[in-house]
Amino acid sequence: MTNARLLLSTAMALVFGTVAASAIASNLVLSLMTQATILAIFALGVGLLLRQNGMVSFGHALYYGTAGYVVAILLTTRIVSVELAIAAAILGLSAFAFIIGLVVVRVPGVAFSMLTLALGQMAYLTASRSRGLTGGADGMSVEWPSTLFGLSSAAIVQPASIFTLAWTVLVLLLFLLAVVLRGRFGSITEAIRDNEERARFIGINTVVPRAALYAMSAAVTAIAGVLASLNTGFVSPESLHWSLSGMTLMMVVVGGTRVLWGPAFGAAVFFLAKDMLGEHAQHWMAAFGIALIVIVVFAPEGLSGLIHRLWRQRIVRRPIVKLETVYQTVSRRG
Amino acid sequence: MFIHVFNGLVYGALLIIMCSGLALIYGLRRVVNFAHGSLYMLGAYIGYSVAAMTSFWIAIVAVPMVMATLGVALDRWGFRLLQDREPLAVVLVTFGLLFIIEDLVQTVWGTSNLTVSTPTALAFSVDILGSKIPAYRIGVIVVGLSVAVSLTAWLRYSRIGLFVRASSTDPTTTSMQGVNTDTLSAMVVGLGTALAGLAGVIAAPFLSLSPSMSSDVIIDSFVVVVIGGLGSLAGAFIAALALGMVHALGAVWLPEVSVLLPFLLMAAILIWRPSGIAGSRT
Repeated sequence: MTNARLLLSTAMALVFGTVAASAIASNLVLSLMTQATILAIFALGVGLLLRQNGMVSFGHALYYGTAGYVVAILLTTRIVSVELAIAAAILGLSAFAFIIGLVVVRVPGVAFSMLTLALGQMAYLTASRSRGLTGGADGMSVEWPSTLFGLSSAAIVQPASIFTLAWTVLVLLLFLLAVVLRGRFGSITEAIRDNEERARFIGINTVVPRAALYAMSAAVTAIAGVLASLNTGFVSPESLHWSLSGMTLMMVVVGGTRVLWGPAFGAAVFFLAKDMLGEHAQHWMAAFGIALIVIVVFAPEGLSGLIHRLWRQRIVRRPIVKLETVYQTVSRRG
Repeated sequence: MFIHVFNGLVYGALLIIMCSGLALIYGLRRVVNFAHGSLYMLGAYIGYSVAAMTSFWIAIVAVPMVMATLGVALDRWGFRLLQDREPLAVVLVTFGLLFIIEDLVQTVWGTSNLTVSTPTALAFSVDILGSKIPAYRIGVIVVGLSVAVSLTAWLRYSRIGLFVRASSTDPTTTSMQGVNTDTLSAMVVGLGTALAGLAGVIAAPFLSLSPSMSSDVIIDSFVVVVIGGLGSLAGAFIAALALGMVHALGAVWLPEVSVLLPFLLMAAILIWRPSGIAGSRT
């Protein structure tokens, strides 16, 4: 994507969010869209790790839930301002993830997924059992003060404004990530993803960039967690449970990771479909199981990959054999 | 004290039955089967119905057979068709299967807790070292150990066992030697699924049946197979017994952190040896 197109699509997306927020009158629809957008940011974080690092995290709910808890706990102590609490949650978790990342990214394949699963479950069990600090299994409410970044909290949590906020955050994160990943950092991480050994041979430090990427994905997820706690005013241990991490991974795969916005798109589709199904059928779990299997089997690149391919077919004549495919086949076999 | 060690052994024996299936399937198909816990739950619920209609002893034979059929079908129309796809795709297919089975169980049997009564032949208790031990639990340990011993013997001394070991080391070369790895895999996945069903039936009289029973056991099973080394049976046996002990003794000595211990153990072992205690590959 060229600079002009990137800027143009970002601006268009921002305008779309503002227009949608003011055009939609139903608070119910707006609140659904807000939840979908927050999940989309969460999925963006998980998808970033998969797309750029090839690593499957089964424990990203750790960063989503903990971000909410950090804000909630810091606010109950009343010693720090709310802005500082939010910054501490996001930056603190990123730093934590970077240090954890230096260790866990060395663990390859399935073992990485299981290790992240273990880390997530430890956080879940700790939060659901330590009654004093986190309210145990009941969760705790987040006591937002009356003003937030100089604005009235009551105004921010209005359905239209919180949707605009979440949407703007999503669009800006997509823009930022697109810019960062186009540069040297993006190329380095892709090189490591495709062949860690070769990347090391040409003199690239292969641990630090992966840990940094792990931290970036944690930061995006933590932002989603803070937004969720602002939206609901509540955090519970369920936001740390591995089934949430698994669900998000499903959304990522349904959306596809070929393009950056794929996971976010998958989350939105997933959430809205679940809501529509939830009203009509009790069997949403089976419906999702079947939908997931169908998408994984018949559309390996996910919905966004499907859209991307259809779009490309219409405007670009496809070469007979793509060089990229040849390279991938060779490197996979070799 | 003895009673806690004993209970650890009981849970360890249950995990042995679960995890040998999980490890066998991983060995042959390189699939981390997220639906394994749901298959265990399905086995328990089918066992509940069969036991209610006939007797527990028929259930313990019939359920593994039903589950084996299901496992063969799963391999033939699932894993076999997906064998050239990246591991994540197959993991997610089993994840989808998990949702389908959970929904099925909730639809057929409802969401309330169900209990299976202990078979009358084993409904007595034995005095060992001053503790009253229910005979049924001794039976669970016996079944767990027999599964471990017979699987090991089968893999070591039978011709098919040799093929299974060869195929889990290198499927391509094994099939070049004239072994039909697809049939072999169907058999092994069938066996693994049957073992999950067996674990479900056996667990039914001493754990209550609820739709959440699958997620409790699947996480522990993952911990076991990852600590033991994915695809390694011997590693899984050792890890299963160790985890059973950690559960039972942790609850006595370190009640505050006992639930975290399995994960701490797993994290420590993975960081030390990413392929597990007995694994040679990742």
